[in-house]
Amino acid sequence: MSAILVVDDSKVMREMVIACLRALPGSHFTQASSGLEAIERLSLAPFDAIVLDLNMPDVNGEEVLQFVRGQDRLRSLPILIVTTRDDDGARERVLKAGASAFLAKPFTPEGIIAAVRAILPGGAESSA
Amino acid sequence: MKVAPDLQEFLAAYLLEAEEHVAVANAQLLTLEASRHRGENNPKAVREIFRALHTIKGLSAMVGVEAIVTIAHRLELLLRECERAAAGVSLQGLDALLHGVGEIRARLTALSRGEQPAQPDAPLLARLESTEVTDQAPPAPAPPTIDLEPELLEKLAPFEVEQLLKAAASAQRAIVCEFFPTPDRSARGLSISSVRERVAKVAEIVKVLPRAVPVTPESPGGLAFVLIVLTSATDAELAEAVGVDPATLRVLQAQLPVIVETAAAESKRSALTEFEDEAFGEGLRKGIVRVDVARLDDAMEGLSALIVTRFRLARVIADLKQQGVNTRELSYILADNARQLRDLRAAIVRVRMVPVSELLERVPLLVRGLCRTTNRLVRLEVEGGGAELDKAVSERLFPVIVHLVRNAVDHGIETPDERVRRGKPEEGFLRIVAGTRSNTRLELTLTDDGRGIDAAAVARKARREPPANDAELLEMLCLPGFSTREVATTTSGRGVGMEIVKRVVVGELGGELELRTEFGKGTSFILRVPLTISIVDAFIFESAGQRFVVPVAIVEEIVELERARAVEVPGQAADAELHLIVRRGQAMPVLELAQVLRLNLEKSHAANAIVVRRAGTPIAFGVDRMLGQQEVVIRPMNDVLTRLPGISGATDLGDGRPTLVLDLVALGSATPSRTERVGG
Repeated sequence: MSAILVVDDSKVMREMVIACLRALPGSHFTQASSGLEAIERLSLAPFDAIVLDLNMPDVNGEEVLQFVRGQDRLRSLPILIVTTRDDDGARERVLKAGASAFLAKPFTPEGIIAAVRAILPGGAESSA
Repeated sequence: MKVAPDLQEFLAAYLLEAEEHVAVANAQLLTLEASRHRGENNPKAVREIFRALHTIKGLSAMVGVEAIVTIAHRLELLLRECERAAAGVSLQGLDALLHGVGEIRARLTALSRGEQPAQPDAPLLARLESTEVTDQAPPAPAPPTIDLEPELLEKLAPFEVEQLLKAAASAQRAIVCEFFPTPDRSARGLSISSVRERVAKVAEIVKVLPRAVPVTPESPGGLAFVLIVLTSATDAELAEAVGVDPATLRVLQAQLPVIVETAAAESKRSALTEFEDEAFGEGLRKGIVRVDVARLDDAMEGLSALIVTRFRLARVIADLKQQGVNTRELSYILADNARQLRDLRAAIVRVRMVPVSELLERVPLLVRGLCRTTNRLVRLEVEGGGAELDKAVSERLFPVIVHLVRNAVDHGIETPDERVRRGKPEEGFLRIVAGTRSNTRLELTLTDDGRGIDAAAVARKARREPPANDAELLEMLCLPGFSTREVATTTSGRGVGMEIVKRVVVGELGGELELRTEFGKGTSFILRVPLTISIVDAFIFESAGQRFVVPVAIVEEIVELERARAVEVPGQAADAELHLIVRRGQAMPVLELAQVLRLNLEKSHAANAIVVRRAGTPIAFGVDRMLGQQEVVIRPMNDVLTRLPGISGATDLGDGRPTLVLDLVALGSATPSRTERVGG
């Protein structure tokens, strides 16, 4: 079982991400529609991975990333950053800030499945 | 393993959400323009616009709408330039941005009609690329001073600091409070999202920041949210909204240690990767489901079927009662059932209601565009209130409002020079107020302080006697083809006049239209329309030279009489007026509709038959010609007429004349004796 937190302020985008990732056996999903909500959920329950958008109101994805990496408990949590292509230098910035992987929108269902599988602990082998 | 989903399935949801972001972008562009007008910079609005466009771009890329991705991307680049330059946006920059957002909306509309959106052409891209988007002189940044912890202060954008300082000068207080999320609070629905929503009701939220804290029983997650707010509420009110002890609130002092943000620090903050709070954002949208109107129509159709079943049940119960069976208990149940069906119908109708403010939200943009093309200055005031109306009414009303607003700006309000000459303020005034009357009608008033309507000139043009009052004047204005301008202007006229307004408001929606005008002083149009209407898909046909409408839902099939196998009725001459035809092995009577309705039979020649089913038995109605199929709005007839069996209402097919909507099932049951007479 993997608990995955999907963070995006766009409802359609969250639904698309989850529709794609349902193909991962035994995963279940929690949604957060803002950076604040994501941080709150992370503080209250354990997750195996986050799929995190960058462009969000209030606390944005980079700030969530920064906060998460600043907490001992969450330092090794796998984080996949998903954001729109042409985001100037976003890839370098977020990887430097501790993101586990980076995926540009538009992605394909196969693309995001592979990306999440790669960052889940032991996921790459067990469900390939 | 499950099959990967096709992201195209999300197209409908995408269109709805993208449309919302377009509305946000437009509203913020207008805010930006208003700020510019006051000589202020508005980085907050720039960020909102950027964020909306960025989301549109990402979503469009996911569903493969490249045309919109390209436009959104160019607009983003313009906005980045605005942000980097730290200067105010230029007028041509605003125009280009509004134009670009309009181009996105046009493509969304095309997509929703099932058309392929056009790729942006070279002139559009060139315009978005070459526009000088910022003004030259950047405003001098005010040095912010505030007694906030450095680690929090560094997270605030310069304009947020400014927001705190400005409030300190007013009656509002800047307050810092903390919320600790716990599993227990979460289980009670106390989350940062709900807290924000409640706080937003008593305060303006400047920023919400997460802060790591030691793990204690009070903060089991090791997390606190710091809310920085401006408020004129009391400590108790605010503390209650946050769910904390009032003693834990801290009032920020405005002019204590001076921290000057350097230019370098500012440019670091200005990267468009961060966006500030929107007090009424996602929080308010929680608990809202967006539904395709077609699904609601399905629900309504299901309900209609239930009502028909109830009538059948009632009939069976009545039969039982006649046979001497005790049906008291059954009658109670039937009465309950009727009430439940009424409630259900009301509930479905409520779901179709949209706020009238949604209908009016595009008006500011429209007025702005009109002012630019007609060189008018107009101050617009829109009061939507809390009224709600049927989506179907709202959709029909929108073009009417566009037309009346155009008329007001183009024909009503004078040019600034002319206004000054007439002793009026340079800026014209246009006011739109919406409200409900008696819970069933919406009243919409559009008032301008322009030149008013010259009744004498209108009468000359219409070649009629001068009107005695405003009502007669309105009649003249609504004559087909009437336009108050000899030459069609760019913005209005073009042969479509008040005639359309009247047709929609009075003809289609069954409402009222009223005019009040004073020559030289201004004009008001008052529209009263029902809050709900019922719309059905209907066949239009002709019988004895008259047009009628029948709901598609009750029609089983349409038969060409020449080809259908006619059967002779035993004991009747072959040319008798009652025929039988056989469909799928079942014989059914063909009733001449013209005869049933006692129309002029000489004009009638039944070529088609419309088959309906009454209590399981098919009946065919002979009609002259099928004219087509379209969605119609059914208006209930006045009381006397609705008592006529077989007529369920009237509709306007667009010609301004009422067309009867027939209930052929009821007509079928009303006629057997007559057909016997005809046959005999």
